[in-house]
Amino acid sequence: MPFRLENVSYRYSDGTLALDSVSTNFVKGKRIAILGPNGSGKTTLLLHLNGILRPTSGRVYFEDSPLEYTSKSLLRLRRRVGYVFQDPNDQLFAPTVKQDVAFGPLNLGLPTDKVKESVSEALEIVGMSEYSDKPPHFLSLGQKKRIALAGVLAMHPEVLVMDEPTSNLDPRAAIRILRLLLQLNQKFGLTLILATHDVDTIPLFANKLCILSKGKIVLEGLPEETFSQTELIRSLDLRSPRIAHLFEILRRENHLPIDKQLPLTIGEARKEILRLLDSKNMIEKEGKSYIEARTRKVNHT
Amino acid sequence: MSLGHVHAQIDRYAYTNALTKNSPVTKIFFALSTLIICVTSPSPLVPIIVFLTTTTLLLRFAKIPVHFYWSLLVYPTTVVIASCLIIALFFGYGETLVAIVLPWFSWAVFKNGVTMSITTFFRVEGALSCLYFLVLTTSVTDILITLRRAHIPMILIEMSLLIYRYIFVFMEVAAQMYTAQKLRLGYSSWKKRIRSTALLAGNLFIRTLEQGERTFMAMNARGYDGNIRTLDDLPRPRMLSLMGIIFFDVILVFVAIMTMHSWVL
Repeated sequence: MPFRLENVSYRYSDGTLALDSVSTNFVKGKRIAILGPNGSGKTTLLLHLNGILRPTSGRVYFEDSPLEYTSKSLLRLRRRVGYVFQDPNDQLFAPTVKQDVAFGPLNLGLPTDKVKESVSEALEIVGMSEYSDKPPHFLSLGQKKRIALAGVLAMHPEVLVMDEPTSNLDPRAAIRILRLLLQLNQKFGLTLILATHDVDTIPLFANKLCILSKGKIVLEGLPEETFSQTELIRSLDLRSPRIAHLFEILRRENHLPIDKQLPLTIGEARKEILRLLDSKNMIEKEGKSYIEARTRKVNHT
Repeated sequence: MSLGHVHAQIDRYAYTNALTKNSPVTKIFFALSTLIICVTSPSPLVPIIVFLTTTTLLLRFAKIPVHFYWSLLVYPTTVVIASCLIIALFFGYGETLVAIVLPWFSWAVFKNGVTMSITTFFRVEGALSCLYFLVLTTSVTDILITLRRAHIPMILIEMSLLIYRYIFVFMEVAAQMYTAQKLRLGYSSWKKRIRSTALLAGNLFIRTLEQGERTFMAMNARGYDGNIRTLDDLPRPRMLSLMGIIFFDVILVFVAIMTMHSWVL
């Protein structure tokens, strides 16, 4: 179990309580999405995971030992827990792509050959090899994000923490990053912890969802289960994925016999629609349309 | 073309020109040694040779477009011409070329004033071409890594590295702020212009502080321990090119000595 948070609270120096005794577990190899409206404390929570912020009270455990904040143990932690910042301009400081990606491995004290190997490998993974000698200001935002990711991957972390991986990206770049992350999880067993408010993409990658509101975790579990609690989600200034919303309306307004667990992705929706059509055909074969009867009944009232 | 745009262009060529694969040591050595000989040469002949050589190298070998190189030369050259005219018309002593003597006013153009003006003009143009050679063929990254090898204090190199990178970030931020202000009529009168400029500068300053804090955090997240390490994998200087440059420099010095006394109008 990589991370366990025990009553973690964090108060910024201006007095705002950004985290209010958060307790949770992040299991190894999982793909965890942290969802919350703006200002709910997502970034603050993430910054605790590789020791950049130190909880005002409470404790963070990594592999069952509490984090220590000496520079030596932080260095050890940061080798294993990579953090990708939301704005790649915060992270990319070196004059060329290659130099930036090499920064982490060089700090680990690896020999030059090893560093070069890690750099080219990381750039290969994110598909940016041909840009290695370019300065970051020549690149688009999507490309910069991938370089920022490569800079962390070059350190061979076991856990990847990423703040808003898809924010401000065009749909293609967003999908590309998500696919990449999914691959990293499936191929290399990287634990993913991603903060986002892009609800539609969560079901595409996450197998655990934590919903954060006003510094507290209010809901956590499988995305399908969590998103089915539509009333609660709406009360938190969030929404369910569009597809789930559509099926919820179909169930409520048109009384279609839809599963209790709403479909969240296009694939799931397709399955559910086919299932509905199938059962409708069955009913029609028996001579009466179940659904039509239901709708007529609704129209009468 | 705005100034920021020209800088961005120079930077782009520094990373994309046809000489990027050559060792920065060679390029820096060529530019600096030639520059020194050029500005110390007593006759305009050496600067002319330097100018023609570096220009040829830039246009033929580094493949910098003529029009861009030309546009870089035009602005400084106009200033240089103006300064040289002043030198020619108001400096010097001894033998005169033209003299106007009136009871209440006298003015003369001296021979050695004109000589000095012509020499100055070519020295500056020659030196300009050397510096353009350096900035158009060698990226800041390469220059910094070379300086590090030359044991320039780390603090200077690290600061230049960060400043260089964030100049481009803040140029973008400033441009956005400027547009946002302009769209809300921030520059519609002289008074508003002053006020908007002050606000922009102040805001930009605050942004730099915030950026610094975030970048420091991000560097820490990747194990920063107070030293910025860079990957040193520059191409080695080729002995042949270095010898060639030394040979060229020797010829220049020789020409400079030969023409030392013969060059007078």
